[in-house]
Amino acid sequence: MTHTKLYTAIFAVLFVSATLQVLVEFAGLAYWTAFGIIVALSAFKAVLVAAYFQHLRFEPRSLTYVVFIGLAAALALTLAASYSIL
Amino acid sequence: MTDEDPTGPEASAGETTRDGPVNGNEADGGTTDGEAPDGGTVTGEEIPVEGAVSDALTASTHPARSTVRHWLTTTNHKDVGILYIVTSLFFLLLGGVLAWLMRIQLWEPRAVGEGILGAMAYNQAVSAHGLVMVFWFLSPFAFGFANYVVPLQMGADDLAFPRLNALSFWLYLSSGLLFVASFFQGGTFAGGWTMYAPLNLPTFTPDVGANTAILALVLFVVSVTVSSVNFLTTMHRMRAEGLTLRRLPIFSWSILLTVWMMLFAFAALLAALLILSSDRILGTAYFVQETAGGTLLWTHLFWFFGHPEVYIVFFPALGIMAEVFQTFTGRRIVGRKWFIAAMVLVALQSFVVWMHHMFLTGINLEIKTLFMVTTIGISLPFDLMVFALIYTLVKGRVRFTTPFLFAFGGLVLFILGGITGVFLGAIVLDYEFRGTYWVVAHFHYVMVGGVTALVGGLYYWFPKITGRMYDEFLGKVHFAVYFVGFNLLYFPMFVAWETPRRVFQYDAWMAPWHKLATVGAFILGLSFVIMFYNLTKSAFDGERVGNTPWEFSRTAEWAVPSPPPTGNFPGVPSYSDGHLSFRSREATDGGTSAESRSTQADGGVAVDAYTDEHDHAEHGSVWPLAVSVGAFLLFLGLSGIREGSLVEGLAGAFYLSAAVVGGLLVLGSLVSWAIEPFDAPEGGFGEAWPFDGVENGKVGMWIFLASDVVLFGGFIGAYVFTRVAAGWVGWQPVPEDPVPGLVNTYLLLASSFTVVLALVAAQKEHRGGVVASLTATIVLGIGFLGNKAQEWQHLFHTGVEPTATIQTSTFFLTTGLHAAHVIAGLIGALYLLGRSLGGAYLTDHRPVEYFGLYWHFVDIVWLFLFPLFYIL
Repeated sequence: MTHTKLYTAIFAVLFVSATLQVLVEFAGLAYWTAFGIIVALSAFKAVLVAAYFQHLRFEPRSLTYVVFIGLAAALALTLAASYSIL
Repeated sequence: MTDEDPTGPEASAGETTRDGPVNGNEADGGTTDGEAPDGGTVTGEEIPVEGAVSDALTASTHPARSTVRHWLTTTNHKDVGILYIVTSLFFLLLGGVLAWLMRIQLWEPRAVGEGILGAMAYNQAVSAHGLVMVFWFLSPFAFGFANYVVPLQMGADDLAFPRLNALSFWLYLSSGLLFVASFFQGGTFAGGWTMYAPLNLPTFTPDVGANTAILALVLFVVSVTVSSVNFLTTMHRMRAEGLTLRRLPIFSWSILLTVWMMLFAFAALLAALLILSSDRILGTAYFVQETAGGTLLWTHLFWFFGHPEVYIVFFPALGIMAEVFQTFTGRRIVGRKWFIAAMVLVALQSFVVWMHHMFLTGINLEIKTLFMVTTIGISLPFDLMVFALIYTLVKGRVRFTTPFLFAFGGLVLFILGGITGVFLGAIVLDYEFRGTYWVVAHFHYVMVGGVTALVGGLYYWFPKITGRMYDEFLGKVHFAVYFVGFNLLYFPMFVAWETPRRVFQYDAWMAPWHKLATVGAFILGLSFVIMFYNLTKSAFDGERVGNTPWEFSRTAEWAVPSPPPTGNFPGVPSYSDGHLSFRSREATDGGTSAESRSTQADGGVAVDAYTDEHDHAEHGSVWPLAVSVGAFLLFLGLSGIREGSLVEGLAGAFYLSAAVVGGLLVLGSLVSWAIEPFDAPEGGFGEAWPFDGVENGKVGMWIFLASDVVLFGGFIGAYVFTRVAAGWVGWQPVPEDPVPGLVNTYLLLASSFTVVLALVAAQKEHRGGVVASLTATIVLGIGFLGNKAQEWQHLFHTGVEPTATIQTSTFFLTTGLHAAHVIAGLIGALYLLGRSLGGAYLTDHRPVEYFGLYWHFVDIVWLFLFPLFYIL
């Protein structure tokens, strides 16, 4: 039962931070400040889903690393390609 | 123990492969002067196996293998390996004939309209030759060996997901046939194998066949992805006890690294190809952009795949060189540990050198310089490997057999190809060499150099696969003719390097060199006649071989009969005492997994394949073939759409019906596949680093998801890149109202939560809970799609179309790819719901768990798409 409670709490946090994300947009912050907060919120939610809903927290770390390798490849492509035309 | 152990093939028949150590077969290639491996004869009867196993070993393969049905439904890794090898050789012939056409055209410099090929026909021949050789010949040829040999080398009964392995092959064949079909649809793709934008758009390559060629590539990439997931799961989870990665034979190492590169590189290619297909079929506006977002976007996506691809095709050849050198010098490779470390380094570095293919584009000088450094840097580990190979020859005693000659020839050619490549890695030199025959000569020395070693591999493992010896004299003649033809063909290209690439006009003074090259092309091509004659004849009446015809072979495939029985080993292979030995099956894994009989879409979980062979006469499945036939029809049908509209007339009706029939066939076959009872071998019986304690299905799912990260990464990267090119902040989100997106975020988060609840209910064996939670998930998922449909409808009505601008294209295509993932997930959820109504998943909840991993991933993707496309 405690597990269900934990999952419910996480769902609530996800729900709230999604709302927060849109509120940040309307808060009238400077663009890049808002950008930073919004992306950070997305990353936060993604980590929560991966850690608990996909229970990566309770798996051998190697599974997490496999996903990180994919993420690193995608980021390398995106960042280096974007930098190349700056 | 001396090198001169007289034990040859057949000499020790009947007294080998006892349940103890197999002489000389150390885990990784063992000591330098290990005993000569045993001979043994081919008939399986003297394999001393205990109990129930022996029937399966001796009786299972041969009677059935002569039937067509066996080959259409087989899932055994050895059969699939043979299918790969034979099919890839067919594509070698196709690619070779195309090359001949080019070389005939290049006999002398010609004006347009002269010679046997018209201008467009020549463009098609050039493009198709490159695509066929790189995709449909090189890698599949290597993966024929990988399929056949790797499970034997690592002590597995089969791959982790045998039906997925069959699917990989049939999708590969389907994609190849689709490519062949493209020649008959007005002409195949004619924009070069690199498919540069904007030549890859219908404006410049308008034929239906050009669509088909690109869709064929998409299908090929699907096949590769399935194969990568399968091999990675197998190689990490199913190694024999004691066979740590440090001890893994070097060919298996080369394949392991190849597959890791494949997993990520091909996902980037898939992103590129899906965007291109969308531009061609739906009419989105990615590659028509006249800013850097257009042509440069393609080159980034393509070469991010394309450079690792060079090593993807070359690594297996490298592995074969090392393996063959060990066997025919009687010496373990010098600096084995460093050789492997160098390969690992190359595999990593291969992802940070791609922009050296773009030195003549408008990317900035800083990044060019950086990529020059990484490119020169990647040659260093290769130097180490080359010297390790050479030093192995120096330290050992070479036996000049056919496999050795081809492997050695491959090394010599690669050295030349590698050195000439370093020239191209220097920015200043590349300014001069780019687009000339220097490049053509360089990469043929590398790639066809690799082919040379692979041909060596074919001779090397031919006795293992057929149980018979090829004719050594004809093999050597083949090598001599091949090597002369090769250098006659490609070396003149260095001399005549000023010839512009991809066209048939060049300065007249170079004509003699091109004539020489054309003569070489025919010598090289015809040398294969000797090989085909030799191997075909020998397959039927060559001298029989026992376990191994090679005096110093050490890897495990040579410790079993030739060809190996269906179940591979007479017991459970183990390296725990440093040598290969077989332990009795009953004692080790009988009954460990009896409860896990349920099946699932990814290939099922399994009980021991051996003991089960008595229950199931056939260990095959027709569904991989059926899915592939359906995919062929579906993609053929899709090729008939151009920028949103179907081709006219009867042809249009044909394409439409092909797509519908194909789509239904794929769907129906997948469902039948999921329902079909099938026993796949389980992992975790030996070494499973780094995935100890995680079952095969879950590892496979995570590996697949990692590749999906790169697929979405490619799409999001394309969006970010395009937006940077357009000036980031001047770009407004397409939907003016973020609320529908926010609602969808809520819906998807809620659906993730219900999937978690479904898993909790399954763990508590609460059927009603599973059914209710899955139903809620489906309702929420449909709600997500419905909301999206409404939003899109609204956008369409206000004139916001996917084809309008690059902003709308990126919005609709990226969120559309995500929606497609949601739809696929919903189909899976419906299947789970149907089964859970009957009470499934209460004892084995793994399918629900794996589905959840996928569904949460789709959720996570949306968590990034929402801000990127609605708020920022």
